[in-house]
Amino acid sequence: MNKVKILTYLLFLIIMPSKAFAYLDPGTGSIILQAILGFIAASIATISIYWTKFKIIICKILNKKKDRKDIKKSDD
Amino acid sequence: MIEETGSFRDPAGKIFYHKNKVLRKLSESGKERFDFLIKEEILNKSIEKKFLIKTKIFEDDDSLKNKDNNLILEHECVPYVSYPYEWSFNQLKDAALFHLDFNLFLLNLGATLIDASAYNIQFKGNKPIFIDVLSITKYDEGGPWLGHKQFCENFLNPLILKSKKGIKFNNWFKGNLEGIETDELDKLLNFFDKFSYNIFVHVHILNKLDHKFKSKKSLKPIKQKSFFSKKSLISILNQLRNFISNLKDNKSITTWDDYSSNNSYSKDEEKLKEDIVINFVKKNEFKLIADLGCNDGVYSHLALNNGCKSAIGFDFDINAIDRAFLKSKNEQINFLPLYFDASNPSTNSGWNEKERKSFKDRAKFDAIIALAFEHHLSIAKNIPLDQVISWLVSLAPNGLIEFVPKDDITIKKMLELKGNIFPNYNQENFEKILSKKSKILAKNLVSQSGRTIYEFKI
Repeated sequence: MNKVKILTYLLFLIIMPSKAFAYLDPGTGSIILQAILGFIAASIATISIYWTKFKIIICKILNKKKDRKDIKKSDD
Repeated sequence: MIEETGSFRDPAGKIFYHKNKVLRKLSESGKERFDFLIKEEILNKSIEKKFLIKTKIFEDDDSLKNKDNNLILEHECVPYVSYPYEWSFNQLKDAALFHLDFNLFLLNLGATLIDASAYNIQFKGNKPIFIDVLSITKYDEGGPWLGHKQFCENFLNPLILKSKKGIKFNNWFKGNLEGIETDELDKLLNFFDKFSYNIFVHVHILNKLDHKFKSKKSLKPIKQKSFFSKKSLISILNQLRNFISNLKDNKSITTWDDYSSNNSYSKDEEKLKEDIVINFVKKNEFKLIADLGCNDGVYSHLALNNGCKSAIGFDFDINAIDRAFLKSKNEQINFLPLYFDASNPSTNSGWNEKERKSFKDRAKFDAIIALAFEHHLSIAKNIPLDQVISWLVSLAPNGLIEFVPKDDITIKKMLELKGNIFPNYNQENFEKILSKKSKILAKNLVSQSGRTIYEFKI
């Protein structure tokens, strides 16, 4: 959860717009903020799914290599 | 039939009073919303979990002359209507957590709250309760939290103001009935305050976005893109819940902070005062009493333990009110303490000056207890004694008023700098005025300095 918070924090710092002066629509900021929070949460969730898949693949490759070494050792 | 002048913002229904009952007339759109609540059993479940005020369909007895045949609901009455600007930090915090919990509960049932007005929450004793049944509607997956900005202004911003800056929100909130504006709070917070994720996002960024997108552009395209999954809405609500539950009151020492433990009475004198209150309450069957200058509510507790149904405490010391509220919660009693400056009480305000009621318009008390109180108005605030007494006896038909003489150490301290500028302030005059305005039933000397408690009846 903390990672999500830090990432959101940093993303906001990067994309933060500068000042603008015009007609005030009281709910606009809130709706856009929620859209951004939703988008970030969804993006992080998607990235974490692929990250988990990537970790599983790497683990499988590493385990295969280890297994081969073990087989070789037992043959010796 | 008396129409509630504060019930106009939502065209789905309108509150009115009839034969001491609180009723709500539903329009066509209100009936649709209500039918959904009945069909999905949301109404019953919310009442059962003590989130929503008891509500049932009103059985018309023809006295109403309901010509349009609108559906009418009957709500349980709360003993006293209070407003968020009269609550202490912990009262507003409890109300905020209650609002979030209720919204999370509703989301699980496929419903949500359409707004986040703090005025939709009332206190029954020390427990918050939601009073606006028409604020609940069907949740459409993908829809944003429409009450977010209002939640920030009504709950989050005042709590942050007190917690981070030590500034009480009450007077500011009373001046702007919609709460503390995000723009104003953002200007007050410093760089370090904004290190908190929730303050950064829900105050600083929200304010920046509001400024950036001050356009007439329609928000429909954003709404239609369904950025707002239910999961992300629940996560925002939970994050705010965690943040608010960890907020602590930033207290500064106030004048009457330690009054109940550090006052000018001896133990025997205190006991005497307590006995007078107990006797007064026992011989009358009061439903609702007002404890003026309640501090942490000692006399209200006594009244409630001796037959009184509910007590509302009033004090201008915000720390005392907060302590009284926490004590009321711990001891599970029907006592609601409220922030109140008797020399500047809540007035009629809002739209047409009728949306939020004044203290006096809401004062339907059976009795008042005003112990060690009148001298704070007549000596400290220079309000003429006859006006103070007239005001006190106008609040309820029964009451106890303690007269504090000039020889008392408290008044001596008060007059140290002012000098003796109140020639008419004496017991003889007090008694004369009180007997003109009411009938004096009893008079008891309670201290060596000459403090006397008068029991009056109109």
